Amino acid sequence: MAKKPRVSVNFFAPSTDGMKAETSVAKTILVLWFLLSYGIPTLIWLAGLSDPNGLGESFLTNARFLGFPLHYWLLAQGCTLGYLFLCKLYCVLWDMKIIPLRKS
Amino acid sequence: MNRCFAIVTLSASLLILTGTLAFGVAGEEIYQVKQGFKLVPAIIMVALLCIYIGVGFLSKVSSTSGYWVAGQGVGKIGNGAAIASDWMSAASFMGVAGLLYLKGWFGLGYIIGWTGGYVLLLCLIAAQIRRFGKYTIPEFLGDRYNSHGVRLIAASVTVIIAITYSTAQFKGIGLICGWIFGMDYSSSVFFAAGVVCTYMLISGMSGVTRNQQIQYVVLISAFLIPLWVLLRKAGGTGILPQIEYGHIISNLMEGQTASGQLDPEATRAIRNAYLPWGKGDFYHFIALVFTLMVGTAGLPHIMIRFYTVKNEDVARRSVLWGLFFIGLLYWSSPVYAAMGQFWNPAGGKAVADVIILSAPERAGLGNAFIGYLASGALAAGLSTVAGLLIAGASAIAHDWYATVYRPGCPDRQALLVGRVFTAVLCGIVVLFALNPPALIAQIVAMAFAIAGNTIFPAVVLGIWYSRSNKYGALAGMLFGLGMTLLAMFGWMAKIPMFSDQGILPATSSALIVCPLAFLINILVSNAMDDKLDDESAERGDNILRKLHNLPGYVEEGDS
Repeated sequence: MAKKPRVSVNFFAPSTDGMKAETSVAKTILVLWFLLSYGIPTLIWLAGLSDPNGLGESFLTNARFLGFPLHYWLLAQGCTLGYLFLCKLYCVLWDMKIIPLRKS
Repeated sequence: MNRCFAIVTLSASLLILTGTLAFGVAGEEIYQVKQGFKLVPAIIMVALLCIYIGVGFLSKVSSTSGYWVAGQGVGKIGNGAAIASDWMSAASFMGVAGLLYLKGWFGLGYIIGWTGGYVLLLCLIAAQIRRFGKYTIPEFLGDRYNSHGVRLIAASVTVIIAITYSTAQFKGIGLICGWIFGMDYSSSVFFAAGVVCTYMLISGMSGVTRNQQIQYVVLISAFLIPLWVLLRKAGGTGILPQIEYGHIISNLMEGQTASGQLDPEATRAIRNAYLPWGKGDFYHFIALVFTLMVGTAGLPHIMIRFYTVKNEDVARRSVLWGLFFIGLLYWSSPVYAAMGQFWNPAGGKAVADVIILSAPERAGLGNAFIGYLASGALAAGLSTVAGLLIAGASAIAHDWYATVYRPGCPDRQALLVGRVFTAVLCGIVVLFALNPPALIAQIVAMAFAIAGNTIFPAVVLGIWYSRSNKYGALAGMLFGLGMTLLAMFGWMAKIPMFSDQGILPATSSALIVCPLAFLINILVSNAMDDKLDDESAERGDNILRKLHNLPGYVEEGDS
């Protein structure tokens, strides 16, 4: 029996159209996810570097949004709302890019 | 049969022995809330328990497939509610509020870690794992890498996670039962164990899934309703507590509490807790968030939820719904923490894990409300424990007993083994819960570190990297498991490197260990590529064809 060729699956080098579409959607969402999850804490960190007490006090902690200190709101509600949006976006992008492929 | 009874009896007697030894060691939190038997909460709780067990009983199952994955027919909102209910453990319900109370802003890391992980899960794992469509995560890993070694490590990790995570739940359940019945901590842990076991053994997972939707409704309403009353008592308008508590936090930072303006010393303490790095630095924050995220995406009992849906479209949408249902809880738990601080700014560690009971109590909310809240927390703990013990027992019964130890044993036998091990696991958990090592949410975070360091890299590479093979998976998983356990024991032994301020804290070890586990898996896989036998290569490829809808997939026979 002749040996079947090995399957090639790689997140960064997708081999079929279906996989290309799936990974491109996943990559888009992951980049946004990364910016949201680590960008916001980094922003708070950078802004707070000038605080001599090392507690990270900055314009972000002094500003108020809906009554919250802004740095508190961003994590307590901003990020979670962002994740919900990303999940929704993932479903929408998937329906746009992958469902038509499956039919053709 | 006799052997099974012997095991059960043995573990039961061990339990009682340890119970008497551990008497009075843990659970000092109970003394921070009002003592004594409370009639109204007790009635509410017993009524709810009857509903759970009743539903479990009505949906009794007898086939193995029904026991493990509820027969693959649950819709997106239903499955979303089940994901959320599985998720909303005593840790989310009591633990997060406790941590936020204790750690202020830093505690928010738990919230974004535990919600952000779902995005990872959705992008990298959910749809593909549904296409695979078998029972358990160890089974997926074992088939993909064609190795009983990988299967057994994955099964052991599932069991360790189930035990660690359930320990935290039992601590929560114990504290609640203690508050309602005025029992001491040890007896309430035993009481809770009895309830959990009965409920699990009567129904299989099918009952569990249906129960979980009811439980979600109970627990989220229990969590939300007292908030309106609480906020009114704190001087708000009580329209949307999740927004209104912002003012309370801003005022707390100025030192204004229910008892008036605090002295400058206490004001500074509270203010520091709400400033970003008052309770931990940037590195530890990022490490915690990363660990909780990869852990979330690697938790076996969350992943098996995707087998229970009709198709992969439903699998994707149920993540969205699940996250929304979870979000409702996490938008509200900081309110309890802020309320706790408002009425009791200096409670400290002793009150943290019971803050959701203590805050309403201090505000004079009345036993009926708090009783409903407590029953919600109990529902949260119970449903999570049910899901976890099922995942743990199925890892033993299905992946070890029916696949490795006695391939081809009859369904009935595997089902029996599953039930026996459910009871055994429950026993082990009670042993740990009698003397819990840390705060509820911290114990849970350690379970996440294990999942993130072992299961997550193996599953992601298994799905997305065809060159990854059994040698790489074994090396990566052993490394991940070893390092996490090392960090956990180092933390318990109070070695500085593994402490909260150390370079590799037990609750957040994945920022360093997880990427290394990925790297080891990739490097070893490539180095051993020539040594891989044809059968393993062919079986791995076959599964990849199925996961990615590639042509040429052949249905496997009995494996």
